[in-house]
Amino acid sequence: MINSLNQSGMKPSVRPHHSRLLPILLSMMVLCVGVAEAQPGDAERGERIYAARCMLCHGEEGDGMGAAAERLNPPPRDFTMAQYKIRTTTFEEIVPADEDLQRMIHDGMPGSAMPGWGDVLSEQEIQDLIVYLKTLAGLEEEEDGNLIDYGTQVAVSAESIEKGRVIFHDGDRCSECHGQDGKGDAVKKLKDDSGYRTWPRNLTKPWTYRGSNDPRDIFARITTGIAGTQMPSFDDPASAKRLSIEQRWHVANYVNSLAKTDKVVRPENTVIRALRLVDQVPTTPDDPRWQRALPTTFFLVPQLIAEQRFFTPSNDTITVRAVYNEVEIAFHLEWDDRTQSRPGDETAEKIAGPGISEDAVAIQLPIQLPAGPEKPYFLRGDPSHPVNLWSWRGGASDRAPGVSLATARGPTNTTERDPAAAGLKGAGSYRDGTWRVVLRRPLVTTDPGQDLQFVEGEFIPVAFSAWDGSNGEQGSAHTLTTWYWLLLRPPPGNKPWLFATLAFVLVLLVELWWAHRAQTRRYT
Amino acid sequence: MSTAVQKPVIPRLLQAALVIAGIYAGFWLIFDLILAQPIPQSLMVMYMFFVVSGVFMVFTFTEESARQLIAPIRALVEDQTKKTLRNVVFIVVPALAAVAVFFQLQPSDEAPLELRSIHPAPPSSVKIFGKRYDLMSLENPYRHLEKDDPEQFQELVAVGGEVYIRNCQYCHGDKLDGKGPYAQGLNPVPLNFQDIGTIAQLQESFLFWRIATGGPGLPKEATPWISSMPIWQEFLSEEEIWQVILYLYDYTGHRPRSWEHE
Ligand code: HEC
Ligand code: HEC
Ligand code: HEC
Repeated sequence: MINSLNQSGMKPSVRPHHSRLLPILLSMMVLCVGVAEAQPGDAERGERIYAARCMLCHGEEGDGMGAAAERLNPPPRDFTMAQYKIRTTTFEEIVPADEDLQRMIHDGMPGSAMPGWGDVLSEQEIQDLIVYLKTLAGLEEEEDGNLIDYGTQVAVSAESIEKGRVIFHDGDRCSECHGQDGKGDAVKKLKDDSGYRTWPRNLTKPWTYRGSNDPRDIFARITTGIAGTQMPSFDDPASAKRLSIEQRWHVANYVNSLAKTDKVVRPENTVIRALRLVDQVPTTPDDPRWQRALPTTFFLVPQLIAEQRFFTPSNDTITVRAVYNEVEIAFHLEWDDRTQSRPGDETAEKIAGPGISEDAVAIQLPIQLPAGPEKPYFLRGDPSHPVNLWSWRGGASDRAPGVSLATARGPTNTTERDPAAAGLKGAGSYRDGTWRVVLRRPLVTTDPGQDLQFVEGEFIPVAFSAWDGSNGEQGSAHTLTTWYWLLLRPPPGNKPWLFATLAFVLVLLVELWWAHRAQTRRYT
Repeated sequence: MSTAVQKPVIPRLLQAALVIAGIYAGFWLIFDLILAQPIPQSLMVMYMFFVVSGVFMVFTFTEESARQLIAPIRALVEDQTKKTLRNVVFIVVPALAAVAVFFQLQPSDEAPLELRSIHPAPPSSVKIFGKRYDLMSLENPYRHLEKDDPEQFQELVAVGGEVYIRNCQYCHGDKLDGKGPYAQGLNPVPLNFQDIGTIAQLQESFLFWRIATGGPGLPKEATPWISSMPIWQEFLSEEEIWQVILYLYDYTGHRPRSWEHE
């Protein structure tokens, strides 16, 4: 008896859309059952909150066709389709649990434009929204779905991770889409149910998971799949690749272990510390000596500032190392890119979006070291503060990879120059979803009016750009960083030792003199 | 009991040291722990210099207090019974000085400090959309509708909202809190319009100028001149800029500053 009452009492969505009586009825039911928590949601209140907070993205009709839809990838969710990415209800169910919706609205969906609303909406308002969202797909009459069976969680251990690794690669079960190293370097072109381009998640970047990379969360995603996208359910009885509960825990532990914490951006790290070498600088990206240089990772943001603007990037970070010796400086740039984009190459063109172009990367440096605080404009300089652009392109079927050099005086004012004249050289390699590129140049050149002359110990502004040619990125459509700093960190030498000794002696002398005076004063 | 006045329970020197340490800990607590915005070291050195001089000024205000402050030091040098302690102190103090000098001379890895004014004084007139505007008298042409025709006003706010979500949310965030999806990758960070220190302090004409001319349109005193705020007169019409301004105030619930209140 209590049970059935509870069920209908907890299902606020049984109410017909515009009834006035229902809130009263509902509160009575709640009183009967004695639920002390927040009131059940109210669709009418939810609709008002939706109009104020959500409509601009999710659309007036809830169909995801808000004003910015074509500028967002992934696009805002179409609530009329009843497809939710994050749920803990079983594969057969349509509705996510209210807790799933609560969590997505409260915490937001990292890696997308969907922000967390927990800081501005109350728990009650979120409940109201949940009820309203369900009415958009006619889900208000649906029973609560059955929750997935987690069985007994397998704790993270080297053994479990190893088992998970085997399952992940077995018959290319996961690596088919997520790649050998889990970087989402797709071998297939994927589209979601509405025809939008989707990219398999780069599993090494936990901050881009819509849920989280906690094994329990990963377990749920593998179990239910991600509705509306190609990410399949591995609990689907019809699937030949179905996994047992225990197997799913092993894979979850393995995926969790893929997180590359050294590629997490630390906002306080704004300086690339170039390491001084006594021997030759490394000339290839895979030279093990690069490991000795300190890596610094920066956010890449899409170019939203000048014509043509670009809104849908596929890369979010770039990791930089630098070394130098007496004559030369070398940069090592490393960034994840799901596709090696070689125009003219058949497989590359099949995966790419329309209009494939070369993958590329560029380092931007001011030509003159700024004397005061004023730096060149961070998007390709300005007329009175020109910048050097060192670029590297990944090549096409009819064009070898190579470097180029340019001077820019603003977003549209670029002059190409001969890289050989300045001694600019480069090399790159693409493997399992990651580009690694080396760009190097002598510290000083013959033309100080056109090229930056590197100086030890100075803070040198530096910025980066990257192009994913399979994601429609070319020309002004690319990702970039703001200005950061490069420091050629000279060895301190023996100056600190010398002056420290001097300080010791001086202070001691002053003390002795003082003590001596105090003594003589006492006896006279 | 009367000696308690002469000789405080905690020696004056220790008191001074404790006050300075307390202030330092306070800085650390507020900026590092609570605000998570550590003060750059060079600035901290400057602040602490003023703190130390201030504390000593207070502690040596009268001759008596000055005498009390240095009393323990004098005792150390003059009092024969404290000989061992003196020898230790005489080695430790120069050693500390040496260590300080040693670290001071290490090449600094810390990024140069960049201070800037966020709301520079606007020029009295600017050229936008090829026309000259007098910022002192410029008003939002739609503002009067708020009273005269609330329905049309709400429609214009809605249009402004669409302009915002299509163009501005990437940086300023769809909650207008300056935390858009790409905000972290920009320096300076996009402004938070919910904060009472931004648009709530400004006139609509100031916003019009800042939106139309963006980062590159900032005057010299706003250097380093790297704000990523785009030049919106290249993308939006004059009407759209006024509409998006209506939306900024409507969504945040702030009121623009107006000339009448000056
Ligand atoms: C800036 C645009 C934007 C705004 C404003 C916005 N959303 Fe979203 N929302 C998105 C995007 C984009 C997605 C899709 C993310 C994805 O597919 O990975 C999404 C997805 C969702 C989902 C799907 C969760 C799932 O598991 O699939 C829910 C629920 C949701 N939003 C609710 C809301 C609510 C409620 C509001 C208002 C309080 C809101 N959104 C405001 C952009 C927005
Ligand atoms: C047919 C392609 C495909 C296969 C096979 C596949 N995935 Fe995915 N996976 C995707 C796509 C596409 C997404 C991104 C969905 C989206 O757009 O949100 C994804 C997303 C994910 C996520 C991210 C969840 C989140 O919270 O964001 C995880 C974890 C994941 N997959 C794990 C796996 C594992 C483990 C396997 C193998 C057992 C696997 N996937 C097999 C295509 C696939
Ligand atoms: C590429 C990121 C970016 C985009 C897109 C962007 N802004 Fe900004 N905006 C900024 C940054 C960064 C600042 C802060 C500059 C500073 O501190 O001087 C700023 C400052 C402002 C200011 C100045 C506020 C003040 O208090 O001085 C206003 C107003 C403003 N933005 C409005 C807008 C509007 C309206 C749009 C959309 C039409 C927009 N912004 C789009 C980055 C952006």
